[in-house]
Amino acid sequence: MARAVRTASQLDTGLLIACGVLAAVALVMPRWMQDGVATAIRRTVLAPLVSVQQQAEVMRTTIVTRDSLQALSGALLGSALIAPELVNENDQLRQLIGLAARLKNGFVSAEALRTGTLDREFTLTVSAGSNAGVERLTPVVTADGLLGIVTTVDPTFSTAITWADPDFRVSAMSVDGAAFGIVQPHLGTGAQRWLLELHGVPFRAPVKNGTLVVSSGLGGTYPRGIPVGTVIGELQTTEKWVRTYMLKPSVLPNTPGPVLLMIPSRSPKDVNGVWTTLTSTDSATRSIVIAGDSMAKKAALEEIAARRAVDSVAVDSLRGDSLAALGLPRNTPVAKPDTTKRDTTKRAKPDTIPAKPKPTTGPPPPAEDRAMEPSWR
Amino acid sequence: MAVRSQPSAMATYAQAIVGFILLLIAHYTVRPLIGGRAPVDFLAIAVLFSAVRLRPGAAALLGFAVGLTIDALQPDSFGAATLAFTLVGYGASWLKAVFFADHIALTGLFVFAGKWIYDGVYNLAGPRIGGLDLVVQLLLWTPLAAALTALVAVLLLTVFRPLYRPHTK
Repeated sequence: MARAVRTASQLDTGLLIACGVLAAVALVMPRWMQDGVATAIRRTVLAPLVSVQQQAEVMRTTIVTRDSLQALSGALLGSALIAPELVNENDQLRQLIGLAARLKNGFVSAEALRTGTLDREFTLTVSAGSNAGVERLTPVVTADGLLGIVTTVDPTFSTAITWADPDFRVSAMSVDGAAFGIVQPHLGTGAQRWLLELHGVPFRAPVKNGTLVVSSGLGGTYPRGIPVGTVIGELQTTEKWVRTYMLKPSVLPNTPGPVLLMIPSRSPKDVNGVWTTLTSTDSATRSIVIAGDSMAKKAALEEIAARRAVDSVAVDSLRGDSLAALGLPRNTPVAKPDTTKRDTTKRAKPDTIPAKPKPTTGPPPPAEDRAMEPSWR
Repeated sequence: MAVRSQPSAMATYAQAIVGFILLLIAHYTVRPLIGGRAPVDFLAIAVLFSAVRLRPGAAALLGFAVGLTIDALQPDSFGAATLAFTLVGYGASWLKAVFFADHIALTGLFVFAGKWIYDGVYNLAGPRIGGLDLVVQLLLWTPLAAALTALVAVLLLTVFRPLYRPHTK
């Protein structure tokens, strides 16, 4: 009896040691192995529970946002009357400056949910997975800017780290393109934990407080032009040859809600003009000016055609009246007066064609020259 | 006599399994609806209530399995919940003779301590937080979550007594 008890006790201890060792191994395993095991568990035994949990999270979000959604729907109802007209106008303008394709094709909308036994600020569950085209390293953004990046992808959901994760990095630049660096979380204590740092800015490229910092697009992971944060001060470090700045993040990670996933294979490498307009606005300006030119040209041609038609009618009328006054039949051949052609040309030129010649080929003139085009005034 | 006791033991195990499954489902359905910074941990209740019916080794194994399911949803702290629940399961089973005397208040204290120890081990082993944040987590949010979990455990024990009544051997 005593031996049986001792054996059972040894078995218990052995199981404890085995489980403890396995758990410790799981803790120190390489990240890719951890991801593999976690993914296998999530996709097999946990799949139904995860699905139920997601539904519950969505339900809670629906309940929490009910009041604000009702207020929003009331406001939207008031705007609904003019919405179709605005949508049409917006579509036309977007087509003009080339944004329609960017906004319609490069994003997948999803809901950011928080999971886990503790309130974790570094990890989010996003309610879109590989079925929706989400891939690993897909940037997660909100209407305010960059929130994080997808680390693991399952068919129906994904896991993402926010910018507060110690492993998070993004190549960034000031909005005027003057200073480049690497943004990483500021690993301070207390409230400063929720700030960012812009590292490695060349010493000769100082950045003023309040400057918006956006992703630079270098490295290819993040498209160029996503807001990351705003400079709030310079940090004093031992690296005297480069500058480090403290940033106030554009997006707070502890407010999950609707997010956009920028699918790498579908979204452009440059999202300039979606959140903000960088200094290199040449392309947008060029598109607008070219559109303005074509409209002005069309109007000028129509006016010339109209004047020609009026002049030809006037010449015919004059010819008929003159012959009648001279007592000649109306079909008497008369030489065409040269003045008609000269007058038409004289009248049409100053009214329809601006003093500055319009380029038909080659690059357009600078933006400041084209900003006051008549058709856009 | 033996013929009469056999179905009773099986019924007891069946009740325990049903109770565990209900708590498991509640963790993934009710808990997300409640939300908050100090959430109720139904899995901790499930592990603690099951551990008192099992031998320490089996309880450690159960804690290991439950912890693994938690870690699967938190890849950045993989292994921490597994380690924490393994220790809590083993300890709960080992201490069952002390705590589980079918006393409501003692059961609440048992769950409170188990949850606090679980969160403590988890925070120390897993997430990369430290300094003041760790202190606040361990001394403020974790006790709140443990108290809430203990309260729910006592309620469950009161309302669903046949399912969660301890049967120490």
